[in-house]
Amino acid sequence: MMLTFKFDRRSVLKGAAAAGVLPMASPFIIDAHGESPVRIGMVDPLTGVYSAPAGNEVTGAKLAVEQMNAKGGILGRQVELLIEDSANDVGTGVQKARKLIERDQVNFIIGDVNSGIAQAIAQVTNEKKVLHIVSGGHTDTITGSDCKWNVYRVCNTTRMEANSVSDLLFNKYGKKWHFITPDYAFGHTLQQACLSNLKKLGGTMTGNELTPLGTTDFSAYLIKARAANPDVLILLVQGSDMINCLKQIVQFGIDKQIHVAGTQQELESLEGLPPEARIGIWMFEWYWRQPGVPSVDKFVADIRKVNGGKVPTARHWFGYTSAMTFALVANQEKSIDSLKLAKALGNFELPDDVKLQPNKCYYRAGDHQLMTSAFVGSAQSNGKDDPEDLFKVDQVVAGDRTAPPVADTGCKLTMPT
Amino acid sequence: MQADHANLIYLATQRAISQPLATRGREWAHVTQLLFFNITNGLIIGAFYVLMALGLSLILNLSNVINFAHGGFLVIGGYIAYTITPYLGFWGALLIAPPLTAVIGLIVERVLIRPLYGRDPLYSLLLTFGLAFIIEDGTRFLWGAQGKPVTIPAVLAQPLSSEFFFVTGYRLFMVVMVVVAVVLLFLLLRYTRLGIRIRAGTLDLETVAALGINVRMLRSLNFAVGIFLAGLSGVLAAGQLGLEPTMGTGLLMPSFIAIIVGGVGSLTGTLLGGLLIGVASGVTAVFLPAASEAIMYVIMALVLLLRPRGLLGEEGMLT
Repeated sequence: MMLTFKFDRRSVLKGAAAAGVLPMASPFIIDAHGESPVRIGMVDPLTGVYSAPAGNEVTGAKLAVEQMNAKGGILGRQVELLIEDSANDVGTGVQKARKLIERDQVNFIIGDVNSGIAQAIAQVTNEKKVLHIVSGGHTDTITGSDCKWNVYRVCNTTRMEANSVSDLLFNKYGKKWHFITPDYAFGHTLQQACLSNLKKLGGTMTGNELTPLGTTDFSAYLIKARAANPDVLILLVQGSDMINCLKQIVQFGIDKQIHVAGTQQELESLEGLPPEARIGIWMFEWYWRQPGVPSVDKFVADIRKVNGGKVPTARHWFGYTSAMTFALVANQEKSIDSLKLAKALGNFELPDDVKLQPNKCYYRAGDHQLMTSAFVGSAQSNGKDDPEDLFKVDQVVAGDRTAPPVADTGCKLTMPT
Repeated sequence: MQADHANLIYLATQRAISQPLATRGREWAHVTQLLFFNITNGLIIGAFYVLMALGLSLILNLSNVINFAHGGFLVIGGYIAYTITPYLGFWGALLIAPPLTAVIGLIVERVLIRPLYGRDPLYSLLLTFGLAFIIEDGTRFLWGAQGKPVTIPAVLAQPLSSEFFFVTGYRLFMVVMVVVAVVLLFLLLRYTRLGIRIRAGTLDLETVAALGINVRMLRSLNFAVGIFLAGLSGVLAAGQLGLEPTMGTGLLMPSFIAIIVGGVGSLTGTLLGGLLIGVASGVTAVFLPAASEAIMYVIMALVLLLRPRGLLGEEGMLT
């Protein structure tokens, strides 16, 4: 039998042409009513390992657009949300952001879940002078050394995440930490932040396993981690990597010998795990069960209506808050000019029905980072009176307590004249 | 030990001069144990690659189809198992999901792949490449993007001993399933009429057709057996990994590498290739964890350079 591959010039050209046309396909557009709508472009990895959190951010943003249109939109104009898939690829994300700005003429940009893509998109929006809110990319530099006058961020920085739980983990679990870290921008900065806190507290690191994004089998890393005999195994991986890693840890019985915990945990991951693998102390960036906090119940009910009855996650809130921020500040300033709004967003405080948390929540003028709370607590194997109540919140720490001072972020903002 | 274990060898060598013999001995024993653990662990992982690679290899050998959608069929198998587990339990799902996946594979082969048999293999490659995306988005549409938990029987969810904690009942069960599947497949190919025809077809399909054998049926059945193995891999993977639409992507490449390293056209080669890259990846994890994935590609590159037909492949299969 002979296998003959004929990758001739024509075949290659056809393939290249097809691949080139794909990213140019039309975006999904949410209803536009009236003339000359205000357009918000959203770039998120709807396919790939982050498709679940990205899909939830989009659902949150859609709800925000529906609600703002019901209240008259932005400056009396209806709002359109144009959604693009970055496919968890930096090149694609940049290409989609450029298309949204150049061809679709969007007024604002939201995105991306992936820190690396968010950072790359920020270069584009800065070059094009478009107001940009990073909804879910956590790496420090976005509102740190690479901060830009037009870029704000809703989710926490990795430093804020590390600061919210380090003391608790050190005091409760022990001083020898071993890290399982995703090998890209987010993981690196998060691990550095945790290690810096650990050293300040007087602890030691027994090792740091850098795992490629999308790792399915963590056994080799776990063998090494257990051999190092730490007090705590700190998981910094996210998405499906978190699910695979925690599932294997529990099957190996490592959680019976070493404490297992981490910084950022998400409801999407806990729901993807069997009950016995929902363990550890973590921080949530937003949680749906907040008794007595204004407007939270309404938001939960609204999301349930568009989310197949499921409760909102932090990602829904990121998307919702990002989109709502544009409407709030534009209507306040009576303008959609990016520079004017970027200036107005400095120290802009979110109202109760958007912040949806007990503490003050505002965009810090010095680095454009939202001072949002950390919900610190532990995972629950089963919800008591709701199957999705998988996290027990012990304390809600205000953002300006977890964020380092602006001077320590490395951010030096210069507003254009 | 406070040092990162990636530096164990370096540290052990450095301390050799200044430390007493007993301490040195302990450190080397530690490294040896780590190495042994990772070789065993690599064999377990390799066994899983073998299961997936054998299905791919069967289809490639007889039909010249490089099935990029194989990971997609694995995911389908996993989701079918997830769906029927609440009704029939894990064991029922294990019994039913693989043949159901094979039936879906049979339909896909009949409707989409069969018309391309006479054409350049590039066509079926592009078709299955696109099909992989369709399956990924299809599963996302049907079951959602969020990972789904598949609970395995409690009896399998424990490590066998506290020292060999990475050898869980479930992983051992997976290896047993792979051994059973491999033995059955080899018996099928060696002793049944269907198997003999598949092997003959792999060597010379035209002559087999000239002898009056229904080649279309042969290809269909062969494809179904390959997809059955993908479905079985899917059920087994769902018990250990997070079940989500992209799960197959990460498992597909090692399977392709296993085939190339082992040699196209040789199922024994595929078996050897899968185990080899599993062990190589495990051993590399001890010394240079960041390269534990890259080592598979390095082995593939070396094999292609030094022995292009693969370890046990037949001359001319990939020319």
